Amino acid sequence: MRRAAFCAGAGLAALLPLAASAAEELPLLPPYVAAYEPQSVDERGMWMMADEQEKLWALSELRVDDEELNAYVERVLCETVGKDRCSGVRIHILNVPAFNATMSPNGAMTVWSGLLLRVRTEAQLAAVLGHEFAHFEMRHSLKGFEQRRSASDASAWLGVLGGFAQVNTGDAQVSLVGSIFQFNRGQETEADLLGLKYLAQSAYPSRAASEVWQQLMEESDATAFGRKIKKRDTYRAGFFDTHPTSLSRADYLLDQALAYNDAGDPRSKEHYEAIQKHLPKFLADQVKLNDFNGTEYILSGIAGTTGWTGELLHARAELFAARGNPRDLITSTTLYLQAMDAGYRPPETLRGLGLSLVKSGKRSEGARYLEDYLAILPDAPDAAIIKMYVPK
Amino acid sequence: MLRQITAATAAILLLSFPVAAHKVIEPGLNDKIVKGVFSANPETRWNRLQQRDGNYQEIWTIDGDRLNRVVFYGGVPVGEPLVRERDKKRDPLPEVTGNMLLPDIPLLLERTYRTKYGIAIMAIGRQEPATLDGRPAIAFDYTFIDPEYEVETKGEAIAALDNGRLYLVAFEAPSVFYFNRDVQKFRDLVKTVSLTR
Repeated sequence: MRRAAFCAGAGLAALLPLAASAAEELPLLPPYVAAYEPQSVDERGMWMMADEQEKLWALSELRVDDEELNAYVERVLCETVGKDRCSGVRIHILNVPAFNATMSPNGAMTVWSGLLLRVRTEAQLAAVLGHEFAHFEMRHSLKGFEQRRSASDASAWLGVLGGFAQVNTGDAQVSLVGSIFQFNRGQETEADLLGLKYLAQSAYPSRAASEVWQQLMEESDATAFGRKIKKRDTYRAGFFDTHPTSLSRADYLLDQALAYNDAGDPRSKEHYEAIQKHLPKFLADQVKLNDFNGTEYILSGIAGTTGWTGELLHARAELFAARGNPRDLITSTTLYLQAMDAGYRPPETLRGLGLSLVKSGKRSEGARYLEDYLAILPDAPDAAIIKMYVPK
Repeated sequence: MLRQITAATAAILLLSFPVAAHKVIEPGLNDKIVKGVFSANPETRWNRLQQRDGNYQEIWTIDGDRLNRVVFYGGVPVGEPLVRERDKKRDPLPEVTGNMLLPDIPLLLERTYRTKYGIAIMAIGRQEPATLDGRPAIAFDYTFIDPEYEVETKGEAIAALDNGRLYLVAFEAPSVFYFNRDVQKFRDLVKTVSLTR
């Protein structure tokens, strides 16, 4: 197995050349050591566990098996932390519709599909990957383990959104992706600031890190609003909190980014091109979670960059159709039609439109679209039940 | 000394009367399913599990919940979810709606599973018209990956809407071995199911 390249501040360190362009003091990255091997008993044990977990990820049904998508995420990581550093990392993209990425001490990184759906630029993805890489580079798993010898903290990104259980973050999902290497509040701040240094050194603007937290808070607020509950985010970290609050993170990350005063292209178009093939599935998975307002926020965020494309209109139509109030069915009908006007005509759009019309009492109009659906997919697995709504 | 005796007695009592007592369902008429919503006349022996996820559910199994199970959802009214919500305000589940059509039922089950159990991979397969105790119904197949053990589970279900209530009977078992071995027992059971109210 290819072993991790690693920086640990050891004697063999070689400074990376700093290709910096910003006016104000550009941050120095820590020294870097290639082909690091675990040293202590604790560290060897953690690596062994991480190796076992990584073998499971490689075989997991949840793994998104797409070389191109993997290459995209790897490229963003490499452009963020530098080619030498990123060569020690293996990336596993997992099909989990929640905002998260994890980093194991052996250099295995997981990136969840919900993260790829939510970040709006390459720079925002870079911010998350840089943060996770910083945990790796600073050997936080080991330090945290030695300090506590127990792992009970919530994982970093899920803290904001996981409270609303977009996924079952409490047990099954987290245990599945093996978040046994978790971090405390001080480590999170350290990783935030080192991650920001990577961004400042890269071609991406470092303010993207603050944007990520702002968007997470806004999504969380949207979910809370939709459920008529108090906003979840607190503005002061409590004594027992394992992470700085989202607000303070957004705040200090923005302050530091302003101090770096770096600029760069966040590359939004490129991000959506890279995930284009998977976008309909990522959207469908999100829509099926019972979070109307949070999902609306995500869709509008994407539309803010790409415009209301056929895929987005279809996803929004499905969201309204699933909620299913009489007024929702009128909206979903309109949205399905708009998706088709935008040139998006997969069979699912015809099916959704047909059923929305039938449920609104417009049976004959609905039947027309359902007939079209059956004409395209005569052997669809649901053809027999859909025929019930098409007069003979 | 007295305290030790009391503790020992408590331990013996606990061992003698397991808290999660399940009940054997003998072949023959059973009209108490989900508090009497369903009746069935199984030809083989089943076990009714003590645990259930909400007021509208009852689970039968042969070898254990994760190996083969029949789940009855009985008379779920409009505005209620299929299973108990962990937190009605913070983690609400999708609900039965008044204008649901039969093809909406598989999606309701999928959305419930994804939201409540964190299932990230689930697919609905065949969907066909059927009858459940003489009522128009939908028969459908599905698969999902158990998020904890990554075992693929296959499901086969039949569901009907009647008088604003949803009735669903599903069989779930790992695709490997158990599903094929036991699905016929489920099909035989479903033929005997009737809705009592």
